[in-house]
Amino acid sequence: MNFSSKLIEEAVSAFASLPGIGRKTALRLVLHLARQQPEAVEQFAEAVAKMRRGIRECERCHNLSDTPVCNICADPRRDQSLICVVEGIRDVMAIEDTGQYRGLYHVLGGVISPIEGVGPAELNIDSLIQRAQAGGVREVIMAISPTIEGETTIFYISRKLKAPGVNISTIARGISFGGELEYADELTLGRSIVARVPYKGGGEE
Amino acid sequence: MHLQYFILTNFKNYESQRIDCSSQLNCFLGRNGMGKTNLLDAIYYLCLGKSHFNLPDSLLARHGADFFRLEGCFTLEGRQERIVAKVIPRKKKELERNNLPYQRLSEHVGLLPVVMIAPDDTYLATEGSEARRRFLDNTLSQLDNDYLQQLITYNKVLQQRNALLKQMADSGRYNAALTEAYDLQLLGPGRAIHQARQAFMGRFHGLLQEKYRIISGQAEAIDCAYDSRLNETPFDQLLEESREKDRILQRTTAGIHRDDLNLSIGGYPLKRFASQGQLKSFVLALRLAQYRLLQVEKKAIPILLLDDIFDKLDNERVRRLLGLLLEGGFGQTFITDTDENRLSAIVEHFGRDYVKYAVENGTATKIQAP
Ligand SMILES: [Zn+2]
Repeated sequence: MNFSSKLIEEAVSAFASLPGIGRKTALRLVLHLARQQPEAVEQFAEAVAKMRRGIRECERCHNLSDTPVCNICADPRRDQSLICVVEGIRDVMAIEDTGQYRGLYHVLGGVISPIEGVGPAELNIDSLIQRAQAGGVREVIMAISPTIEGETTIFYISRKLKAPGVNISTIARGISFGGELEYADELTLGRSIVARVPYKGGGEE
Repeated sequence: MHLQYFILTNFKNYESQRIDCSSQLNCFLGRNGMGKTNLLDAIYYLCLGKSHFNLPDSLLARHGADFFRLEGCFTLEGRQERIVAKVIPRKKKELERNNLPYQRLSEHVGLLPVVMIAPDDTYLATEGSEARRRFLDNTLSQLDNDYLQQLITYNKVLQQRNALLKQMADSGRYNAALTEAYDLQLLGPGRAIHQARQAFMGRFHGLLQEKYRIISGQAEAIDCAYDSRLNETPFDQLLEESREKDRILQRTTAGIHRDDLNLSIGGYPLKRFASQGQLKSFVLALRLAQYRLLQVEKKAIPILLLDDIFDKLDNERVRRLLGLLLEGGFGQTFITDTDENRLSAIVEHFGRDYVKYAVENGTATKIQAP
């Protein structure tokens, strides 16, 4: 693309660095912003910058949060004895959307995959084990996609997480097999969390 | 089951080609290097979603083209099955059945059974164990799609386990719980595959001996024994026993990925002791037994692709093979040959409905029957 303006060119490059945005879309967005009132664009940019300045990981569950402890963890009405273990933040959103779950979460940040260079140390597994062993936790629910990597991760955590009185369960099978949790429709996902089953130890079925 | 027509676009040396098929016999006539085999490989690709020759998709696109497309219209139990493969090498590979893309390519395997017999099949006997495992896996996957799914799972877990062994060696930190996780995940599919292979050999053995007797005209005893450490030792015990060895070698040393078929003739290993003639008869018998087994156990009669085999076999074996083919029981057949007279003789011999195409530099032209 040939730009008459260095300013436009830089802005297009910035937008095009975002996932899912090609240079054509980036140009459309930039040209749109170029036609807006300067104050409106300032507000837009400030919202983005403010978000990044303020956002952090919840120090308990690793969900994204505005405060050191996220508002799910801080909500006294939620069942503190349940921890739902998920791969990513979007899984938290998907499960919250079902409205069927009133416990807490723990975001792993991925699944174990040596091929991708992701071992247990790269994930939030140690902090999960500390939470579960600190007392007050009755059940850890593994809401992890039933892929090979997901199975490995569930088995590994179940081996490490040996705390008295803590049960481990998995969400019902058959939801979006091989896919990701976030693609399961709300109803199925909600049902599968309600109808979770005790974890048997993996491997053979 | 048969193929009604197929269309190649930018596939190997074909820019754009449509072939209308006979439900019985189809002949592709032309000099070497003109593209006869590519037509057979296109059919194979439509049946199994990949090339018979294990070529990556990037080598299947016509030189200078950035995609290829194959379309085939099959008749299967009275239904029409339109299969389309759209491939942009390294970017996109899509396989459609009646306009519906498959979620996973592997779901297609087994719908349209196919067997290719090619002159370089002797690699089945002369190459390493992987060639024979591929033969087993190809046959079993076409028979039972669940076998293929187990195999895919097993291979994925195996890759992860090997990557873990390597990383643990690099970092010097052994993770027993994680190793155990992979062991447990290998057990289910590993045992299922072993059982399926064992059961398969029981059904395959007699067929193989029968085909060998016919092709070779010899009564000598041949054997094709399933060699797997799981025959004697349970898989979990094998994994346990090889834990130290795996750590040192940084890969999984025990499992069904090490299985082999021991081919022998008169009690001697085929690879070292057989004559060229015996070798050719043996691998031809392997293919014919594979065809027969698929034919018996699938609802659909497999498509048979014969690539240039009349040129590479001596007259005696050609005569016996033709005899077998004539006996009937074979479904739609595709033959390539370089020799017009020989091909005409074969066609006449068959006395079946046929079409003949002349293949020249990536263009096939139908030869009208006289
Ligand atoms: Zn939190």
